[in-house]
Formats: sequence, structure tokens, C-alpha cells
Amino acid sequence: MSPRPAALAALAAVTLALAVYPEFGSGYGVRSTLQVFMWIVLASSWNLISGLTGYVSFGHVAFFGAGAYTGAILIAKAGWPWGLAALAGGLGACVLALAIGYPCLRLKGPYFAIAMLGLNEVLRALVSYFEDLTGGGNGLSLPTLDATVPIYYVMGASALLVTLVTYVIITSRFGLRLMTIREDEVAAEAMGIDTARHKLYAFLLSAAGPGVAGALTARDQGYIEPISVFPLATTITMIVMVLFGGKGTVWGPVLGAVVLFVAQEIVWARYPYVHPLLFGVIIIAVVLLMPRGVLGLLQIRYRLPRTI
Amino acid sequence: MPPALEIENLRKHFGGVSAVDGVSLALETGRIYGLIGPNGSGKTTLFNCITGVERRDAGRVAFNGERIDGLKPWVIAQKGIGRTFQVIRVFPELSALENLMVVTRGSGAAARERALELLTFVRLEGLRDEYAGNLSYGQQKLVEFVRVLMRDPSLILLDEPAAGVNRTLLNDLLDAVRRLRDRGKTILLVEHDMKVVMGLCETVFVLDHGEKIAEGPPGVIQTDERVIEAYFGR
Repeated sequence: MSPRPAALAALAAVTLALAVYPEFGSGYGVRSTLQVFMWIVLASSWNLISGLTGYVSFGHVAFFGAGAYTGAILIAKAGWPWGLAALAGGLGACVLALAIGYPCLRLKGPYFAIAMLGLNEVLRALVSYFEDLTGGGNGLSLPTLDATVPIYYVMGASALLVTLVTYVIITSRFGLRLMTIREDEVAAEAMGIDTARHKLYAFLLSAAGPGVAGALTARDQGYIEPISVFPLATTITMIVMVLFGGKGTVWGPVLGAVVLFVAQEIVWARYPYVHPLLFGVIIIAVVLLMPRGVLGLLQIRYRLPRTI
Repeated sequence: MPPALEIENLRKHFGGVSAVDGVSLALETGRIYGLIGPNGSGKTTLFNCITGVERRDAGRVAFNGERIDGLKPWVIAQKGIGRTFQVIRVFPELSALENLMVVTRGSGAAARERALELLTFVRLEGLRDEYAGNLSYGQQKLVEFVRVLMRDPSLILLDEPAAGVNRTLLNDLLDAVRRLRDRGKTILLVEHDMKVVMGLCETVFVLDHGEKIAEGPPGVIQTDERVIEAYFGR
């Protein structure tokens, strides 16, 4: 018996339920679900470059921030509709990924991670400096508009699309070639795999989602400032989500995003003071007990396909 | 016809150590060559310079008459040079089948068929869905060997193919190498097992301290004074 029809039916049911949810849900519920969608986009995108190729991007929020500022500037200064601005945000992040990926993806291991961290700090400084365009440290306000429900749908569609793209890549030989870079880059090159081009493609793909999510978030919140869209904590959260769910799998980042977001909300509401402490404990527990994450553990132990 | 591989005055040093110090050699198409020498004599470095894994400091490398030194390793592989590694480098978390399938482009069905054929050839078809990292050392060695054949390279560099492989398997492997030669492939192998080298190779190159100190048929090499000195000292 193939588990595929059942999985597709479950996916369709969840999608349908989430599609009608804004009709019934509370404002808080819709906003929270919107945030879960955003985290799915971010975590799954990080998984595309770091989970598959093993190149750990420690500054992935840079693409989120770049998308947020691209979108916000186009909306506030050029009067673009937010849907188009979101696309431009994704495109802007891709252009940035192209410019930065070309030199930085030659770096190996921790050097790449640090270069990405540096990129994020540089962007934050640049955005603060060019006040005329970005509002500098004072931030940038967008015209008032209540678009949470439409943004909910667009963000949800983005999450679905990123997951779908992940599925297609992981089941393709292109995806396998990305994994050979993680497994043994020297051997991959000796087998004739053009690793530079593969890494760059994966990097571009991994930047698009955060760029769109950044622009959508900027529109939804109506105000952005350098510290709100370039925080290191966002990068760390997406990494932890992927590690918790299972890197290199399709549903691992989704599981990580949902579980950790909900856990964070509960802990934050009940124990506001110990919240960072508990989050830290979760990180340590995952790394010590399940270094491969929940689905990664199941995948290895029961020889399941990576499409879980 | 130009030689399958021609190396002229190749040099590579690491810090103050000359790993390869002005080596020249030529391989004719369709023959099996051996590369021997004591530990640290530069055999693996020579392989790495041919395949672009290491950048040479000086000298030239031509493959079928076309210069390949300075090219990226994947470009060299795509031109038709395949290699294995001294320390096994399979992709541990890819299945045996996937290890082979990733190598080629084009039709996935064709790649799968070829990969299955090669796995059957080394009697690993039953383990095709197992992670390569879970296979035994000898089995991983075989996966690495047939992975090289996926692209059907015309020049094959084997770095210690016999090490850690049991006798029965080894004989199969050596037969396979001979058959590849019969199909017109050129093979250069680094090997410490002298029985393997003597039984398989038509010409042997001997390296010592990065220099080529001898070249000739295995029988002649065995009695060469410089070779004996390099291995056993004076």
C-alpha cells in the first residue's frame, strides 16, 4: 500500500482548513497562523541551502531584511501595490544572493557562516546610513492598510510553494547533487559535478522565500526599522526549527516551525521571564539527544525517504 | 595520436616540501600503468594535480593532446578522467544507487539502468537502497570504483584499489580493470601491493621524494637499483 494518497489527502485537508480559517478564527489566531506561515517559509528556505548543501548560512535573515526594505520602499515611496512589492522583495533578495553568493560560496565551513553573519551586519549598517531612502534608525512607516487576511493567504501560499519546491528538489537528481556537496564536496567535483553552479542555484532559491516573507511582513506590520528586520535571533530561530524538525527532509522544517512557534507562544504567555531560558534548554536538548531532528531520526532509523 | 595523458615537468610544493618535483610521464591509450613509490613520494599529489583537486605550481598536463592543467576538477572529470581516492570518499548518506545516479546528467531512467547494471557487476544490487555509509569498507570501495565508471571515462586513475579488499573480490576487480583496458580505456593505478602491480601493469613509474626515478616493465623495475634503494635504503 502506498502512503502517498493518504498523505496527499491529509495535505489537502489541512490546506482547506487553513484556507477557511480566517472566516472563523479570532484576530489573534489568524495573526499567529500568519506567523507560522512566515516561519515555514524561512525555515524551509534555510533548509534548501544549509540542510541540503551543508553550507550553514548564519545570516539568512539578511534576505528577509532586504526583502522587507525593498518592499517597504516600493510601497511607501513609489506607491506600489503590496502584492507586486512582495514579488520585488523576493527578486531583490535573489539579486543580493547572486552578488554575495558568487564570492562567498567559495568559502568553506565556518568561514561561509561568518561571511553571511557579516553580510547581515553590513546590510543593517547600510540601511541605517542611507536615511533619505530608508528612514535610517528612525525606521520607515507604510501607509495605513489593514490587509492581514489577504497577506495571510499570500504568506500561506508562499509556505506551500516553498515546501513544494523543496519536495521537487529533494526527489530530483539536482537535489541529490546538492547533497553530494554536503557529503563530500571534493568527491562531488571529482565526479564531474559543477559544485559552484549548484551551490549558487540553491542559494538563489533559498533567498527568494525570505525576500517575499520580509516584504509581506513589512506590509502587515506597517513599520520597519533596521533592528526589527535584521535580527540575528531570527536566523538562529530558523536554524533551530530546521535542526529540530530534521534538516535535509521536506517536512522537517515545517514541523520545526509549527512546534517551536507554538511552544514559544505558550511558554512566552505563561512564563514571560524564563522564556529565553526554556528556549535555550530546547536547543541544547535537541542538539544532544536528537542531532538529526525528529524526522531525521525517524528517516535514518526506519530508512524512510527524505520526502517525510 | 597524442598520448592519453602527457605530463611535463609537473611541480607542486606544500610550504617547504616538494611533493612533486618536476615529473614528466606519458600514458599511451589502452594500457595499464602502475605508479609506485614509498610513502610521501608524491603519488597521490600527482593524482590530485592531474584531476585538478590541487593546483599545480608549474608544468603542463595534457589529456588526449588538450591542456587540462588549471581547469576546475569537474571540467576535467567531464572531459573523461575518472578517479577513486586513497581514503574512501563515497557519499555516506546517499544510497549505493544514488551514489552512482548523481554522477550523470540527462535521462534519469537511463542513469538508473546503468547504475543498477554496475551495482550488479560488483554484486551489490541487493544493497542498492542501503546508505553507502552503512556498507563495509570493501563494499564502499566497490561503490567508489563503479561510481567512476558511470561517466564512462577514457582515463581512469585508481588510488590503491586493492587495499582492504578481500582476495575473491580483488580478483573480480582486477578482471574488471583488464576488461576496461581491453575496451580501450587507459588506467593508471597507485598500489602498494606489489603482486597486484606486477600482475596487472604493463609499465610502472616509480616516484621517490617527488621525482620519477624509474620507468619500465615491472620485471625490470623490480631489479632496478635506485628503486631498491628508495624502498629499502642503501
